[in-house]
Formats: sequence, C-alpha cells, structure tokens
Amino acid sequence: MKWFKKKNKLYLSDKQPLSTLGMIGLALSYVVLIAWVIAILWPLFQMVVSAFNGKQEQYLMLNDNFEFSFEHFKYLFSETLYLTWVKNTIFIAASTAILTLTIVSFTGFAYSRYRFKGRKASLMAIMLIQTIPTFAGITAYFTMHSIIGSLAPWFSRQMMLILIYSGGGIAGNTFILKGYIDSISTELDDAARIDGCSSMQVYRLIIMPIAKPMLAIIALWSFIGPFMDYLLPRVLLTNPKSFTLAAGLFTLISDFRTLNQPAFAAGGLLTAVPIVILFIVLQKQLVSGLAQGSVKG
Amino acid sequence: MEKKSIFLYDDIGNSYKRKNKYLLELYTLNAQMQEADSNGKKVIRNQIQKLKSNKKDHPYNIAHDTFKKEEKNFLSALNAKTKVYKSEMDTSGSRKLRALKTDLFKAKEKVDFYKKYVELSYDAELQYEQSKIEMTYLPEIIDLLIVTRQELNAAYEAKKKIDRDKEQIAKKNYSELKQIEQKRFLEGKVKLKEKKKSGLISEKALRNGIIELKAKRKETNTLNSYNIETKSVKELIKNKKYVLTKGIKLKLKILKSNLSDVRRKTPIETGKTVPFYSFLTILIPGIGQLLNKQYFKALLFSLVTLFIYFIAIPYALGYGNYQGDGISGLLSLAKDGKKIDKSLIFMIEGIVAVFLVLITIALYALSFNDVLKTEKNIIRGIRPRNWFETVSKIEQEGFPYMVSAPALLLTIFIVLVPITTAILLSFTGMDPQNQSKFGWVGIENYRLIALGQGLAGSVFWSILSWTLIWTVVATSLAIATGFFLAILANNDRIKGKTFFRVVYLLPWAVPAFITIMFFSIMFSPNGALTTVIYDLFNIQVQVKNDATLSRITLIFLQTWLGSSYVFLLSTGVLQAIPGDLYEAAQIDGATAWQKLKRITLPIVLFQTAPLLVGQYTFNFNNFSIIYLFNGGGPFNPSKYGNLAGSTDLLISYIYKLTMENQYQSIGAAITIVISMGLMLFAFIGFKNSKAFKEERL
Amino acid sequence: MKVTLKDIGKKYEGREEFTLKNIDLEIEDKDFCVILGPSGCGKTTLLRMIAGLNSITEGDLLFNDKRMNKVPSKDRDIAMVFQSYALYPHMTVYDNMAFSLSMRKERKKIINDRVMEAAELLQIKEYLYSKPSDISGGQRQRVALGRAMVRNPAVFLMDEPLSNLDAKLREHMRVELVRLHKALGTTSIYVTHDQTEAMTMATKIVLMNDGKIQQAGIPDEFYNKPANIFVAKFIGSPTMNIIEGKMIKGKFVSDDELIIITPSLNDTERLLAFEGKSVSVGIRPERFESGGEFGDTFTAKIDVVEMLGKEKILHVRLKNDSELIISTPGHYIYDENEEHSFGFDVESIHFFDTETGLRIN
Repeated sequence: MKWFKKKNKLYLSDKQPLSTLGMIGLALSYVVLIAWVIAILWPLFQMVVSAFNGKQEQYLMLNDNFEFSFEHFKYLFSETLYLTWVKNTIFIAASTAILTLTIVSFTGFAYSRYRFKGRKASLMAIMLIQTIPTFAGITAYFTMHSIIGSLAPWFSRQMMLILIYSGGGIAGNTFILKGYIDSISTELDDAARIDGCSSMQVYRLIIMPIAKPMLAIIALWSFIGPFMDYLLPRVLLTNPKSFTLAAGLFTLISDFRTLNQPAFAAGGLLTAVPIVILFIVLQKQLVSGLAQGSVKG
Repeated sequence: MEKKSIFLYDDIGNSYKRKNKYLLELYTLNAQMQEADSNGKKVIRNQIQKLKSNKKDHPYNIAHDTFKKEEKNFLSALNAKTKVYKSEMDTSGSRKLRALKTDLFKAKEKVDFYKKYVELSYDAELQYEQSKIEMTYLPEIIDLLIVTRQELNAAYEAKKKIDRDKEQIAKKNYSELKQIEQKRFLEGKVKLKEKKKSGLISEKALRNGIIELKAKRKETNTLNSYNIETKSVKELIKNKKYVLTKGIKLKLKILKSNLSDVRRKTPIETGKTVPFYSFLTILIPGIGQLLNKQYFKALLFSLVTLFIYFIAIPYALGYGNYQGDGISGLLSLAKDGKKIDKSLIFMIEGIVAVFLVLITIALYALSFNDVLKTEKNIIRGIRPRNWFETVSKIEQEGFPYMVSAPALLLTIFIVLVPITTAILLSFTGMDPQNQSKFGWVGIENYRLIALGQGLAGSVFWSILSWTLIWTVVATSLAIATGFFLAILANNDRIKGKTFFRVVYLLPWAVPAFITIMFFSIMFSPNGALTTVIYDLFNIQVQVKNDATLSRITLIFLQTWLGSSYVFLLSTGVLQAIPGDLYEAAQIDGATAWQKLKRITLPIVLFQTAPLLVGQYTFNFNNFSIIYLFNGGGPFNPSKYGNLAGSTDLLISYIYKLTMENQYQSIGAAITIVISMGLMLFAFIGFKNSKAFKEERL
Repeated sequence: MKVTLKDIGKKYEGREEFTLKNIDLEIEDKDFCVILGPSGCGKTTLLRMIAGLNSITEGDLLFNDKRMNKVPSKDRDIAMVFQSYALYPHMTVYDNMAFSLSMRKERKKIINDRVMEAAELLQIKEYLYSKPSDISGGQRQRVALGRAMVRNPAVFLMDEPLSNLDAKLREHMRVELVRLHKALGTTSIYVTHDQTEAMTMATKIVLMNDGKIQQAGIPDEFYNKPANIFVAKFIGSPTMNIIEGKMIKGKFVSDDELIIITPSLNDTERLLAFEGKSVSVGIRPERFESGGEFGDTFTAKIDVVEMLGKEKILHVRLKNDSELIISTPGHYIYDENEEHSFGFDVESIHFFDTETGLRIN
C-alpha cells in the first residue's frame, strides 16, 4: 500500500513552513555560500594540481598540459633542504610550546589565585607592550645574540627564536589562562589545603589537571605559531641549514638561484596538509579557546 | 603616636605596660611636661635632669644590671651542664632525637631560672614563656619519634623474616585474583555493550561505564596486591619513614609557630627613640639588619651588597663589559674607540648597565625600608621578626612572586631591553654609512617624520595614509564577509553545515605565507588568474604593475584570508546565543532583519570585540601579505622614493629601511611612532572591553 | 573534641575596624553547634578561622585546651563540607574521598577500609568510580560528606551544605545529618542562614549579627527567651510582632495608644525600673487570644488570610494602619475585611528595652 501513503505527505518539520519569499531567500543563501566555497577551493585546487604537474620546469604552468608525477616532490626531498627545514620547524615549535606552557601555567595560576601588589598594573602593561610589533626589537635581537653567542657558543639563533616566541606569548596566554582558572571555584583550593596540600601541590594536583583543556589550547597555539611565522625566521636565521619551513620555502620562489616554483607548490602542500588536518580535528577547541579568552576575560 | 610613649604596642595595636621603671618614670615626666605650664615645665625639666644624671643608681637599672649578670652566669653554667648531659645521654638514638632531648633539658633549666625575673623584664618573660611552651610540646614530639622509630625497626625485621614460600603462594594468588578481575571486567563490558545495542543506554554512557569498570578493576588489583607481604611491608616502611621525616618536621614547625606567636605578644623595651641605624647603613645592606639582631636576614642582604658592589656597579662603570663601557658607553657610543668596537654593542651594554643600576637602587630602597621599619617597630615595642617568621611570611606571600620570576626575567630580556634599544636607536644616526659606529642625533629623525622631509619623512605620510586605508577597509571587509557568511550558514534550514565549516576553515588553516606566495604567482602576467580573467572578461590585467589594481587585489586577498577566522568566531558565538531570545522576539513581532540588527549583531560584536580589535592591529602590521605578494610594489619613485612601493605599509617600509638598506635609526623612529599610536588604540579598546571592566581583574 | 573560642577577633589587613571582636564560645564534645545569622554577619569568617583557612588576629582557639591558632588546616584534625561541595572534578568519587589520606601517604588497605565504610553508611557505593560530574546534586552532597568522614576528624565543619539542594531533598538531608551525627558522635559546627535548619538540627545555636554573638544556647531558649529584639525577630516563622511603646503607670501603652497591655505578675517587678521609658513588646503570632473577651484587647481588621491547612495566618491592620501577624488554628473561620477583637496570652509576652534592644523579662 505504498502509493497510498505517498499522497498524504505530512509536514514533519518543527518550524513554520516557508513562504515563497522565504524560499527565494534560502536559495540565494545557498548560492552565496556555494559561490564562496568555489572561491576558496579553486585557488587551493590549483595549488594541489601544480604540485603534481610533471610538465612544469622551474615555473608554474596552469594550462591543460597536465601530467601527473611525483617529480617535484622528489626534487623537494633530494635537492633542497626541505627535510632539514621540517626538522627545524618542529624543533622550534615544540620547544616554544613547552617553554610557553611551563611559564604561563605558573603565571596564570599566580595571577588568578593571588592578590599581590602590582597585579593589575603589570597585566595591563604587558598587554599594551604586546601591541608593539616584535619587529621593533629586531636590531636588538641581532646584537644580543652576537653578544651572548660569543660567550656561550651553544646558544644558537634558533634558541633566540624560541625565546622570542615564548616571551611574546607570555602576556596574552597568561591572560587567557588566568580567565579560565578564575572560573574554577576557590573552594577547591580550600578543600585541597584542608586535605593537606601546599601551594605547589594545589597547583600541580588540583588546578593544572582541571585546566588541561585550556593548557592544551595554549600549547597548540604556541606550536602552530612558529609554523606560520615568516618574518622573524627570515630576519634572524641566516644559515639555510637552520631555516624554518617558511623561510626555506620562500627561497624557492624568491632567490633566482634556487627558483623552483613547482617544488614550492609541493612543499607548500606537504606543509599545509597536516596543519589543515590538525585545525579541522581541533577546530572546536581552538575557537572556544579564543572565545573564552575574550568572553570570560 | 608619640615617640616617647608610656606604653608599648604590638602588631595589632594592643598596648602593654612598661616594665622598665626607669624609662617609665622618664617618659611619664615627659608627658607631664607637655601638659604643664611654664613654671611646671621648669620644675619637671629639673626632675628629668636629676633622673638622667642618676641613671646608674636608679633602683630599676640596678636590678636590671644584676639580672643581666646573673643571666650571663646562668647561661655559661647551662652550657657546661648541657655538655655533661649530652655526654651522659644514650647514644642509641638518632641525632635528631638527641638534639630534641637536649632542647627539652635546656628548656627545663631556663624555666626555673627566668621565672624569677618575669616581672622585671620582658626579655625574661619571653624566655620564660617560650621555654614553657617547649616543655609542653617537646615531650610529645620525642615520644612520637621514639615510637615511630621502633615501629620502623619492627617493619624492617618483618621484612627480613618474610617467608619465601609464602611469598610465592601469595604472588600466585595475586595473579589469579587479577585474572578474576579481568574476567569480571570483560563480562561487565559485554553487558554494557548489549545494553547499548538494545538502545537502553547511549554511547556516552557506554564509554563512561567502561571507564568506571576500568577504575574499579585497577583499585581492586591494587588492593589485592597488598596481600603480598613484601609489598605491604614496603608500604608500611614508606609510611613510617614519612612520619619520621615530614611528620616530625611538621610538629616542629607548629612548635616554632607557637614560639613566634609568643614573640609577637611580648613587647621589647628600648631607650632608643630615633631609628638612626637605617640612615647610617643605607649604603651597605646587611649591616642594618645585623644591628637589628636579625642575623640570617643580614646574611641575605650581604649577598645583595656583594651583587651591588661586585657586579652591578663595576659593570655600570665599564668593567666586565663585552665590548662596551657601561653607562658612559651609552653616551659615547664607541665614538673614538677601536675599529672593532661597535656602537650597537656599546648601546646595548649601556642599556643593561642602566637596568642594573635601576635594580641596585631598588635593592637599596628595599634594604633601607626593611631596617627602618624594623627599627620603628622596636621603638614602638614590636619585636623584630626572627628568621623563621620571615621565611614563613615569604613562603605564604612570596609564592606568586617567586613563581612569576622566570616570566619576569624572560620579559625583561626579550621585551624590555629590545624595546629600549629601539627607542634609543631612533635617537641615533645609524644609516648605511654609519653601521659600525654612529652617534646621537637627538630628535632629528622625528623632526624629519613630522615635517615630511628626508628619507624618513617624505614618504611617511603617504605610506601612513595607505596603511590606514588598508587597515580599515581590509579588516572591515573581512569582518563583514566572515560575519555575513556565518549568519547565512548558521541558518537552521541550511543543510551541510559541517561541509561549509570545513571548507571555510581552509584559508585560515593553510599557512598564510603559502597562499600569499601562490596568489602572487597566479597574478603574475602568465599566471592562472590573469589568464582566467582574460578568458572571462577579455582584459589583460597587469596587477603587479598597477598600483590601484595591486591595492584592490590585496584588499580582496586579505578578505579571502581573514574572513574565515571571523567566520569561525562568529559561528561559535552565534551558536551560544540562547534560542529563547529569538523566540521572544518572534512573539514580539520582529522580522528577520530586526532580529539580526537588534539581537544577533550586538551580541556577536560585544562578545568578539577584543578579538576584532586585535584584527585591526594585526592588519596594521600585516607585513607578510604586502611583502610576499609584490614586495610592496609596484614602484613609483616620484611619489614613494627609491625604497618604498605603492602598496608598502609602514611595517614593510620599516623592514626595507632596516634590513635591506641599513637605515636602522630611521626604521626605529618610525617603529616607535606607530607603536605609540597602536598602544593608544589598544589601550582605549581594552579599557572599554568587558574583560577590564569587571572588577575581577 | 571540645572547641573553645576565647576572645577571638579578626581584622583584615587594610581595613580600619575589626570584622569580629570579643567572640567567646564554648562548644562541648559531641555538640551539634549551628552558627546562625544573616548574610554578612561574619559566620563564615568564623568557621574559616576555626578551619584555619583565615588567620586569627587575636584571641585563642583551643581544641581540647590545645592552642590551634598557628596549626595549619591539615593538622587540625578537622574536615569541612563546603557549600558547593568542592569535589575535585578530575578524580573519581573514590579518589576524592581517599585524597586526604593519600596525601599523608597512608596505607592503601586502611584507605580502602575507611572509604568503603563511609560509602556504605552514605549509600554511595554504586558510584565510587564515577566522576562528580556524572552524579546528581544530592549524591554529590553525600560524597562531600563522605570525604569529610573518611578523615575521621575530631570536628566536622559545614558551610551551608544544604543550600544548593531543592526543598524536599533538603528536608530529607536534615534528618540524615542528624542521624549521622548521632551515629558518629563527632563534634559538628554548622553554618547557615536558615533558622529552620538551626532549630531542627542543633543542640546549641549561636546567633550572630554584625560580627557579634547575639545569643548562644539551646534552641528552646531562642524561641521562648530571645535575648534581644534581633534574635526575637530572626527566629520563628512567621516573624514575631514587635510593638513599640512606653511603660505608663505599670501598663504598657503602645505609641499609637491602640494597644494597652497589663504585664503578668512576674514581669511587673522587672518593669518597675522602666517606668516612663520606651519599651518594646514582642508577641508571637500564635500567642494571641482570639475572641478577645478577657484582659486587654484590641480591635483590628483582617487584611489578608493565608491558608496553610493546619493554621491560618491573618495579616491584620489596626486603626492607624499598623500591621500585626496573628496565627490561628486552621479550623477557625476568618474572612478578609472582617473586624475582630484579639487579646494576649500575657505569660508569653516578651519585653525589650527599646534603646538597647535587650530583653527585660
């Protein structure tokens, strides 16, 4: 009796049925949204295609001459220092994340749980100083590094970079973490003290485990930052062996001697893919972390 | 609060009567003199003179001197007695035990001696009360120590006597029990899964259930493991050891707290009326504390003195510098120095020297204040804190300071010193001809900027105007687009939300420098986009050679990049808006547009305001997109000089000045100018944001 | 454990005055002492000082004659139940209850025994391995209690533990807590602003206001012999009626002269000293005589009748619009806008000195 049932199609949706105007509006919405999707996907698609287009030599070609090949990837791995760059970037990113996390977990805790002199002032001051572009200190960084470098040869440019990234992240991350820890009731601290915890133990056993979500977000941001930054590595790192991905890939399209645009496309693709996946998987946390930082204050 | 007070006071403000009869008379006379008429004053002054001249013969002072002599004798006798006691003591106990027993012995003796002098002097009262407390608490601690030691020894014995065979059996039992637990766990898991299949519980409940089962299994296993004697004995040993160390330590700490409590409540009497130690010893931290009888603190501050006189001041004078000359290097900037001397190094070392001097001054102030406060307190009657009390106070209140110390250090190193360098650099004349050595030029650079002249100033204003236009237009367009898309996509009736969200995420996820470089390639004369535009509109555009086209393209590019961040943010906030707001509006008769304008827009903007402010400052300094796309070009020497291009922002201009053309001082000056502007903008923005308004900050 | 507070005072740094001053209190062993008072009266501060979470500025806190001022919270042998339960969200219920013992490196077997014992008593064995976020409010409250019990403390401290529960659960838990107290016999100090809780649970009530103790004693005394006007108005629902007036020729005359009361024989003596002075009279709503046939009476019009089933609450107005609250048995018939005469149960009238607020009789 199926065809009988078809006649009485029930309107099952909970919302009011759409008027014609409403339906036009909805259709237009879809049009706009899909148009934007195309606007995003097309350039990215080009990039993916050109990474695999074997017919290209040093310059990119975007015409119908397409031949699938891994040639550019091979070039990337064999002729350039791509893998070294990857290693460098991961090293810098991971160190930044660890250093930032350690320092900020302490300051976030201190600023949230203790009322001490200079608390408001220092927080405001640090937030303001953060607006000064890191760039302002470039000359100083150079010189400071040469002074310290001559005293302690193991202090490499990369370490300087790590310190700069971590130092730059202290203010904002402390602020966000402080906001999150503020939302943890102080009665937990009291209960922990009655149960026998010293200040360090309250920090380590109670507050930090509860703040794990926020700590993860901070670690993530600190890790991703160095991947995306182009300016500082370009300025600070002079030896191609110590380049990060951003600086290294740039040499593939700027420096005439090492110009190889398709390889750049390949390298870009390889770099982009894991980060994109990371972002997609963790988008909820990343965005909520940002929102919390501003909303909860 | 008179200096020559008849009463003594403690921390909280309670008053105590003086025991020093001599001082009491003296100060009472003083007080009377204040109130007397001129004749009375004369009389009283005579009395005071007489009193002072007969100081030595005053009955109280005689009694006090006697007391002091007796005390000296007593203490040396006590020392001898203690030595005897120690040698006769049972050596089987640990050192700690013997020390405690000795303390108890001494306390008993002290109680007997000082009892007689309690009325006479507060110092005697202090000793008496403290010894009494020791006598109350020490026996208990000693007993605990002895008993726990015995228990520990018993546990060691038990450990040795463990029967091997019994052990094996116990271990076997344990692994059997473990298997039983595992079976129980698996059975539980199966049951849960069945429940889920038949729809009785949800996925989340299943997961939670499994976690609970795991926790239970772990606990039971741990418990069962203590049936194995070795393990339980080991635990017992650990427990007893803990009591022996931490437990005893804690009890001793309580004892010390009670002792210092008495110290707080027993005033100190002194004839001193002026806190002159602090002033005399201001230059040598540590001696003041020594004179105040705070020995450990004196030691601490003497380290400070060492730092000041062996590190800070020499460095500031130029010794131990890498190349520089301390503070004077700041002024000279290696002007007539050796060839290898670099002005920049002189400057930085000078800055470090300045910071060291600032720290030194702070330390002087700290020490002075400390000595002054202690002295003033002594005059009032408050006993100076002993080391235990100081340490306790630091432990309690010092935690945040100590824990923020690394952050502070890093900030000084990474933020303050470089910024100071930049500020100072802007007052110098470091340019291509003066790289290694340069001198001060005062506000010359700023003057050039303000007047719009010279390398710094002539293009400054036109670049500034483009920067401002760029910031406002690009950011606003990105925000509007992102927000617009978020509203569209968040509509209840739109399907495939996840798909849209993932795709819109991409411009943000893919590292910006890659996409920018790529777009740059695609807009080159043979590039893909140029070709597409030609195919579609039959116009051959030369984006990179045309200033206006470049600018428009850049703005659209930034919109493409920046809108996805705003989209995600807006989506997050939109989802958090409670639906009742819209429903209430619907009942009130609002149209979709009104709902948007009066509910959605205000809420989203309010919540995301601080972050949006950040977007503006970000774009103001958005070096990557400008530089990577077209190097700031296209060039237009007539308008922008030889360095800057038509799309250069101030930040990329600074980059070119500093890095590519070595005009560091001008670059620094421009940096400072825009930093001031940005700081002002951010200050206003932050001040008004919800975060700062709330008192909780 | 006997808890004694001798002349306790608390002054916060940076404030001019003392928040609490001259607090003297003796709580016997096995007492269930309720510290009652409106918000801001200092009761939570007092509790926190006993717990060691806030420092004691002056005075002595003694547990069984041993001075506890400087002893850290963890060594005072106390346990505290917080208003919001303060359960560690990242640990299971079991770990929550075991936490304090494991901080002291106590042996696993002993920990387990104690936790199981408490769980049995409080009937929370089923969720020993769940996390606090997975159980309901009432269950969390019991876990908080369990956590306190496991420590086997000498003193239980409770800071408004029932205020986050709904009415029915609150009623149930009140009885449970009393039963628990009887079973364990531990001295308990309980802070609340709810007088019903105080009156039903306490063996001793301490009523505080403005940083001072208004009255301390058994619940009966509070109801029948309040020490001052504040206590009189705080305890008892509906609130006691307070009428201001003067003693004229041995009789009480209210300021508006609408109410005249002849005091009982016992009271007359004491009131002699107050002849001509301002005196306030307190009458509980249920102590009026309806019918108004003997003694001093007054007439009033009934404004609102609240029907509570077993009683009726009448809000009446006198001729000059001043109001009184009268409680009558539910089966009496009263209607709004009726005028009636009411009299007084003279033996149950409370007289207070209007100036100081203190009780006269």
